[in-house]
Amino acid sequence: MPALAFLAPAFLAGLAAVLIPVILHLRHRERSEAVAFPSLMFLQQIPYRTVKRQRIRHWPLLLVRCLILALLAAAFARPFFAGAGPGIVEDGARDLVILLDRSYSMGYAGRWARAQDAAKRALEGMGPDDRAALVFFSTGATAASGLTGDVAALRAAVDAAQPGAGGTRYGPPLELARRLLEASDRARREVVLITDFQRVGWDGQQDVRLPAGVPLTTVDVAEGDDVSNLSITGVSFDRQAVGGRERVTATARIAYKGAGSMRGVPVRLELNGIELQALSVDLEPNSARAVTFDPFTLPEGESRGTVSAGTDALPPDNRFHFVLSPGQAVSVLIVETDGAAAQRSLYLRRALGIGDRPPFRVEVMRRGALSPDAIAGRDVVVLNDAPFPAGAAGRALLDHVRRGGGLIITLGERSAPSSWEGDAAELLPGPFGAPVDGAARGVALASLDRSHPIFEVFRAPRSGDFTTARVYRYRPLQVGGADGVLARYDDGGVALAEKRVGRGRVLVWTSTLDNFWTDIALQPIYLPFVHQLVRHAAGYVEARPWFTAGQVLDLSGGDADAAAPQAGDEAGTHRAMAKAGQAAGEPAPLPALGGGELVVLSPGGARSTIGGDRPRVLELQEQGFYELRPAGRAAAAPYTVAVNLDLAESDLSRLDPQELAAAAMAADPGPAAPATAAAAGGVEEQERRQALWRYLLILALLALAAEIALANRVSRAAG
Amino acid sequence: MRTAAATTSAPGARFIDPRVLARIANLELVARTVVEGFINGLHRSPYLGLSLDFAEHRAYMPGDDIRRIDWRLYARTDRFYVKQFEADTNANFSLLVDVSKSMAYGREGIPKLDYARFLAACLAYFSQKQRDRVGLATFDSDVVDYVPPAAGHFDIVMHTLDRTRPGGAGNLRRPLEKLAENYRRRGILVLVSDLYEEPVAVRDAVRRLRNRGNDLIVFHILDRAELEFPFQDAANFEDLESGTRIPVIPDHVRARYRELIANHVAELQRLLGEDRVDYTLIDTSTPLDQALFSYLATRERLTRVR
Repeated sequence: MPALAFLAPAFLAGLAAVLIPVILHLRHRERSEAVAFPSLMFLQQIPYRTVKRQRIRHWPLLLVRCLILALLAAAFARPFFAGAGPGIVEDGARDLVILLDRSYSMGYAGRWARAQDAAKRALEGMGPDDRAALVFFSTGATAASGLTGDVAALRAAVDAAQPGAGGTRYGPPLELARRLLEASDRARREVVLITDFQRVGWDGQQDVRLPAGVPLTTVDVAEGDDVSNLSITGVSFDRQAVGGRERVTATARIAYKGAGSMRGVPVRLELNGIELQALSVDLEPNSARAVTFDPFTLPEGESRGTVSAGTDALPPDNRFHFVLSPGQAVSVLIVETDGAAAQRSLYLRRALGIGDRPPFRVEVMRRGALSPDAIAGRDVVVLNDAPFPAGAAGRALLDHVRRGGGLIITLGERSAPSSWEGDAAELLPGPFGAPVDGAARGVALASLDRSHPIFEVFRAPRSGDFTTARVYRYRPLQVGGADGVLARYDDGGVALAEKRVGRGRVLVWTSTLDNFWTDIALQPIYLPFVHQLVRHAAGYVEARPWFTAGQVLDLSGGDADAAAPQAGDEAGTHRAMAKAGQAAGEPAPLPALGGGELVVLSPGGARSTIGGDRPRVLELQEQGFYELRPAGRAAAAPYTVAVNLDLAESDLSRLDPQELAAAAMAADPGPAAPATAAAAGGVEEQERRQALWRYLLILALLALAAEIALANRVSRAAG
Repeated sequence: MRTAAATTSAPGARFIDPRVLARIANLELVARTVVEGFINGLHRSPYLGLSLDFAEHRAYMPGDDIRRIDWRLYARTDRFYVKQFEADTNANFSLLVDVSKSMAYGREGIPKLDYARFLAACLAYFSQKQRDRVGLATFDSDVVDYVPPAAGHFDIVMHTLDRTRPGGAGNLRRPLEKLAENYRRRGILVLVSDLYEEPVAVRDAVRRLRNRGNDLIVFHILDRAELEFPFQDAANFEDLESGTRIPVIPDHVRARYRELIANHVAELQRLLGEDRVDYTLIDTSTPLDQALFSYLATRERLTRVR
């Protein structure tokens, strides 16, 4: 049996106003001016008595006036029938989906407690036959339970939950709510969204619509917050080699959004748990600045670093983690033919001797001196106008490529086609023939596959003009089909081709990389072109000092293409698939991880296992340092991954809840309408739906009309 | 007590609201409007000549008294004629109009004084039509204007009525004593007043006039508010004549007031009746025709010649 309750009971004090007409009716209105009368000879004979002045006159008028005041007071108190949740005016059990935001911005002072309270209130409003599902969301959405009537379990789930490290995305939870409710056969279905309504979570592009007739009740837990936030948006490193060691200069970027200025904010740099330096900075309102620390020498092995800045209501984004390792040079072995001139590889050596990202460690060796040991440990082998090595060296080279090494072949005068027969032919994209002379002025590089990683850096206008290079002689390469051809001359001949062999790459340049058959070595594009060739052949991927929460590490290894980041997934989140550590330039530990199971220790201390019969991928869900070890090797040095928060989440700009509700609700909202419940959801929603105050106001208006009619009649009678 | 409700159903009457008459500025026009209309509605002529001096014959008109048909002439001409007589010496007809300040009161309809003026004008016009000698006296605590009754004084009477304004406090005894001295010849006296005095004092005041052999008709003019006391709000009530104020809660005194005024009227009616004074209570919302009926009835009773 629903009971009558009031949303704003303080207005019931207005019922005291009923006394006003009572007093007025008790008090006889005395006119200030005298009433002229022909003669008082009769009135003077009547004794004047005052005791009767307290008699109420005009009872109907008094009652109507009292009724008007009582109706107004009751209407302002906003009455409703409480007791059966938001849909008390409707019949039947309902299904309720509670979407609870646990992005890290919910850790802002007081928000999480308000969110938990709102979720519990929504659960309290459930009837005995109602069911509810609890969905936690940040960058993704997870249903803590299906639709269930076990309120105690749901309440326990709410109590146990904490804000995570993810950003806010409203698309996934709404999509999940849609699926849950579409599977429901109940007529009454509702969604309650409890969040801080960050604008970054909704760009209006998500095409998520709740089923028709499903109302979305929004509970804004950030309403009224005086938002000010300090965050570290990134750290950059300048590395310099000094005395065989690397010295690193770290620069942290600090953003501050708030009305008042901040003075003396401490900014600290820690490395391996030791505070290296603490600086103090002043921040103006809504400003950003960079803080550069003194250079430090990078130790051997992995180093965990953290930059922290001040304290505020949202602490997680005041810390920024990273992992640094000494840079690893790309090892390149240049193989020349035995009779080659002394400076045969001069241009190539000089080009690779320049540059530090990555640095190239170059060694030149004659074909005759080549041995399997010389090949072992190399990232890239360059056969510079040399035949394929025979014997054990040749097999070692073949095995090198198959295991993931790089091979660059430049065809020149001494590249004997006959040496590439047998197993060696596997390495070539196709057979090559005798040298071909170009026209009098040679041929130019006319067709480049600028989508390929080698030429991608030259993609932009004025980023490198290959047409200035002239090639006077080259060896025609017969490649089956267009696949693998990365560049052609203007006469149609193949200039550069690629072939994947095993896990390695083979690149064939059909001319020389010096000034014998071409003048490309004299062109400005030569140096970056050679760097790109070697980087690509080596499969080099720059080591990342940190990852972002929500990203997924693909540790399967082997597939070089997996190193490319991929964006987007089913739930609309942005997950970057990053292959960590498979590159030659990466620190050594990952290869040591092997291909078996990995034990992962999360920043929160949770231990889990990936690999084996499960996908060897790791979803980075927490802020801090993840440690990865091969299963069964607890003593081994871990491979560490630093994870930072999604910086977009630090932007606490707010979204209008109505905007989100309007976008997410079906065009025909059915009997219900969108609503905003500031902090309660339950009772306000009930009151809003019932809207009894409207009927009370209508009654008050009718009573007012009756009062006017009655008062006119009384006034006419009184004269 | 004769009330307006009891008399407005008089047959043949054509009633004109006094408030409509109040819009007519010319008092004589008011009187003619009322009287002519009143007469036209009657089935027999109200004019009753007292003189026996034959003047002329005229054709019989519907409403003429058939006793005045000259049957001899009918026998000769086979047509109806009535004989008309020279009415040079009809009765003295004097109006005594109270113009004290209490007569200025008017809440429900027109002020009592205006009503009294209309009534006096109508009666004067009516009497002048039947060749009575018309006179007028206005008074408050003393005689204000006095027009002796005479055949040619109708215009003066009208003019005097027209410029009459409310005076001071009223008192019947003194002015009526003075006037009694003036009306040496017997006649018809019509007193129009609100009679705010004790019934005995009123009786004593008019007795002097009556003792002179005059026929006296008293019109007691009151506003409806004076009869019913419909006020609602408590207020100080101020006596128009004396300026005295007393606090009054109408709800509390209404019943007692009505009782007192009813007793007052009843006592007046009784005392004046004993002195053969014709008394008529009229409230100002009553059409003037009602007063004319009352007057006519009295004149019929007073007239010896039929």
